[in-house]
Amino acid sequence: MVSLLSSSVLLRRNPLILKLPPYLSFLCIVIGVAWLLVLPLDNYSRRTYISENALLPGQVHTYFAGSDQNVFRGYKREVDALEGSGNIEVNDKLEEFFKASGLKVARQSYEYKSAGETYAGENIYAILHAPRGDATEAIVLVGAWWNMEGKLNRSGVALILTLARYFKRWSLWSKDIIFLITADSKAGPQAWVDAYHDTHQSGMVDSLPLKSGALQGAVVIDYPFDHRFQDIHIVYDGINGQLPNLDLLNTVVSISGHMGIGTSLQQMWQHSDSYRDRLQTMLRGMLNQGLGHASGPHSSFIPYHVDAITLQPFGEGWQDEMAMGRVIESTFRSLNNLLEHLHQSFFFYLLMQADRFVSIGTYLPSAMLVAVNFTIMAIFLWVKSGSPNGESSNVSLTVEAGEKKTPLAIVKEGDAKALAPEATIAVRERELFLPLAVVAGSQFLGVLPLYIFNHTPEAMLHPIFTAFTSINGFFPLILSALLTHYFAPTAHHYTLIKTFSLLLLGLFLSSLATLNFSLAFLVGLLSAPLTYMQPLPNRPIVKGVLAVLLSALSPTTVLVAGCWWWELGIGRVLKEAAFGWDVWGMTTQVVVWCVWWPAWLVGMVLLFGNPREEKVKGAGNTIETVKT
Amino acid sequence: MKLSRLLQLPLALAPLLAPVAAEHTSNWAVLVSTSRFWFNYRHLANVLSLYRTVKRLGIPDSQIILMLPDDMACNPRNAFPGTVYSNADRAVDLYGDNIEVDYRGYEVTVENFIRLLTDRVGEEMPRSKRLLTDDRSNILVYMTGHGGNEFLKFQDAEEISAFDLADAFEQMWEKKRYHEILFMIDTCQANTMYSKFYSPNIIATGSSEIDQSSYSHHADNDVGVAVIDRYTYYNLDFLETQVREPNSKKSLGDLFDSYDESKIHSHPGVRWDLFPGKEQGGRERLVMDFFGNVQNVEVDSVGNDTEWKEDLLALGKKIAELRERAEAAEVAEKNTNVPNPSVGTHTSRKIRAAKVQVDDKWWGKKAVGAWALAGCSMVWFLGTYLESS
Repeated sequence: MVSLLSSSVLLRRNPLILKLPPYLSFLCIVIGVAWLLVLPLDNYSRRTYISENALLPGQVHTYFAGSDQNVFRGYKREVDALEGSGNIEVNDKLEEFFKASGLKVARQSYEYKSAGETYAGENIYAILHAPRGDATEAIVLVGAWWNMEGKLNRSGVALILTLARYFKRWSLWSKDIIFLITADSKAGPQAWVDAYHDTHQSGMVDSLPLKSGALQGAVVIDYPFDHRFQDIHIVYDGINGQLPNLDLLNTVVSISGHMGIGTSLQQMWQHSDSYRDRLQTMLRGMLNQGLGHASGPHSSFIPYHVDAITLQPFGEGWQDEMAMGRVIESTFRSLNNLLEHLHQSFFFYLLMQADRFVSIGTYLPSAMLVAVNFTIMAIFLWVKSGSPNGESSNVSLTVEAGEKKTPLAIVKEGDAKALAPEATIAVRERELFLPLAVVAGSQFLGVLPLYIFNHTPEAMLHPIFTAFTSINGFFPLILSALLTHYFAPTAHHYTLIKTFSLLLLGLFLSSLATLNFSLAFLVGLLSAPLTYMQPLPNRPIVKGVLAVLLSALSPTTVLVAGCWWWELGIGRVLKEAAFGWDVWGMTTQVVVWCVWWPAWLVGMVLLFGNPREEKVKGAGNTIETVKT
Repeated sequence: MKLSRLLQLPLALAPLLAPVAAEHTSNWAVLVSTSRFWFNYRHLANVLSLYRTVKRLGIPDSQIILMLPDDMACNPRNAFPGTVYSNADRAVDLYGDNIEVDYRGYEVTVENFIRLLTDRVGEEMPRSKRLLTDDRSNILVYMTGHGGNEFLKFQDAEEISAFDLADAFEQMWEKKRYHEILFMIDTCQANTMYSKFYSPNIIATGSSEIDQSSYSHHADNDVGVAVIDRYTYYNLDFLETQVREPNSKKSLGDLFDSYDESKIHSHPGVRWDLFPGKEQGGRERLVMDFFGNVQNVEVDSVGNDTEWKEDLLALGKKIAELRERAEAAEVAEKNTNVPNPSVGTHTSRKIRAAKVQVDDKWWGKKAVGAWALAGCSMVWFLGTYLESS
């Protein structure tokens, strides 16, 4: 007992232990990144499989063909004729078509305001009641009149009208089927889903006059062209990086496979099943997940735990619109077989290609390791800040030099007692106020850009961002100067500031990793250098280099670089972000401005810090040291 | 010891009674599907096909207990409302007009099944839901569903184990509720389900060995689900093509020989050892002894002849048991340390039931642990040494 106790006390002062953490945290980052890079290999990823027995994908004959093609052509002509018409006019016509098929029709208008702009429109939907089922569950077939790129979803809408007419003829539906045609791809689906679950803001979004049972799944058709297609592109990212159940995706992949139609993900139009292509698919997926924006009309359904995907035919091939219709028919027959909500398969996964994935258990350690690096460093600095004098190596030196003089102290724990050099057990009093104030202050400062960027009219977004970026460039310098001037922090203070900042960052990122893995990983990676920032008053060159590096990894610079790389206007991106915040409930900004940016700010302040010479007070005896 | 010698007498008389047990006078069938839900359509179709077959071969509805946990005919997903088919040609509607379901929906539970077999039912239970068999009844027990090693799932809610089933049959035997049983089961790892049986006069067969799946035969692409399992399909195939009329002389040996593993895609098993004639006797039994009906009538002899004989038999058995126990106790007294083999089958059964796996790698694990600890401390000392020097 005695030896155990003294060893645990000595452990805290063991020079080996005190040197290890910086290397350990660096190792964490390296392993975290390497972990992600090996995921696309065969040994680490798995082939997808259908977990839900009830789905039975592709086990039915599809009969959507023949005369229905003529019906489709008719609807297609009508849709083409409506191309120039207004929203209400279009819906009048669509209502007529749905009613002619014998379905109940309802409409819903909405109006959102974001970044000084108004997004208004009217959704129309029709409900096919299950002829022999109860009305407790429903599946949704969605088509947006205008797709994400702003093109008229001409074949898509015509296909939905045809399928509505066709599905009505079957008597085997166990769930209601809702045919929804939204005015646009971004606000319309959100308004409809919100209203379906009664969570809409009344006044801006109308309530739904007609409802059915709990939504079990939604499939979106995005088919904006006339010609035949080759393969189907499946879009599955939801808002805030949430994903639909993997079984839904597997079902569509399997059904299309049965029909000889290929599937692709993340705009990988060609996929050679090589390591490179798999990695690229995965990274694109991670980027989409990390951004947390809506990637299609289906995205709005996912936060409500309604599994949804968008199907986009692409390429030039010999598959016609009837083939697309058969894929939908077969998918709906599978969904119709469901007995309970999709739950068997994964909700957290990264896809490498249509039939290969890694699940959360395999990929999570990578983001966790990156996040843990901050925590390790924070704990290390906390322990270090408690040692009687700033430099840990001094301890062993003094102990060796004045071995006989070393005052001994009695350590008690329960009944056990042990003798130990006083210097090793003495805990230095930590001055917490200033460090806590600095870290808390910078966290609160983050609210400022969050508010500004979400509440500025579109025209002002770009100028304000430019101003913010330039201020951001020298703001840490000013903050650091102010800090030195008024509070004259010691090296001890700086260590504690860094401790709290890293501790918070580690905490936030490891929690975030379980919700939005990609965002946590990306932010963790971009803020990795923060682990090694410390005041360097006597080394201006190193300081300058590090300052440039940190500035290059600041949230604003990364945003600018991203916009430049993907050739997007900054104003447009910010407008989209504000729209996401106002309409979709997107929370990426919160992570950027309230987690990443404050940590970055503190890192910069640390770098420019100039610690005052300190007088150190030990807990047991007073030791006067002069910093060398 | 005098006592035991005295008791020899009734025991010697007992074998004289044996030849009486030769023929059965009634046939019963217990047909059980244990799974619900639309995608398990085939399990209900399996049972209904068998139901139809035994009815065709002469077992009346009153002697068939049909357990269906779900109603596929009325499922909204059924493209052909009111029907159940076991073949994609949809030639025969199994749900037809003449169907009597005795236990349905949530009545199909392990408890109800065991109560049915052992006839431990309340006063209020209608006769149609009881297995009114006696010691002259041949019973066909057919089960299908989702199973595993030594269990069969009932309705996703509970499962019956091979031990439960074996004990239920033993109770039936004790209560003279059967003459012979043919037990058939079509599920994954089916053969494990009959591995624990220990009661006499049972022939058991199953669709697949341990760690083997049992597969569906084909799907109907309009109904959208698999409609029948392979093992059942080929059993029916034999019954329909070879056993065409009630006076068929096909034997169980013929039936079991017809199993083609390349068609069934699993290894069907047969268990003969509980049957008096072992494999030889079992193989000679006619298919019609279990799938068909008989008209044999057993007339009680004058007076209470049979009853008297039965009592004598029972008495003899009881005495034998007592004697065995007395002997066992005696031997146990003599030498308490030596495990007593003469305690008899009862103990060995129990041992069979308790399967405790001994961990052979115990020492290996210890060694690995010790090495890990030693390694850590060595690294530690090395580090401290390097640091101080």
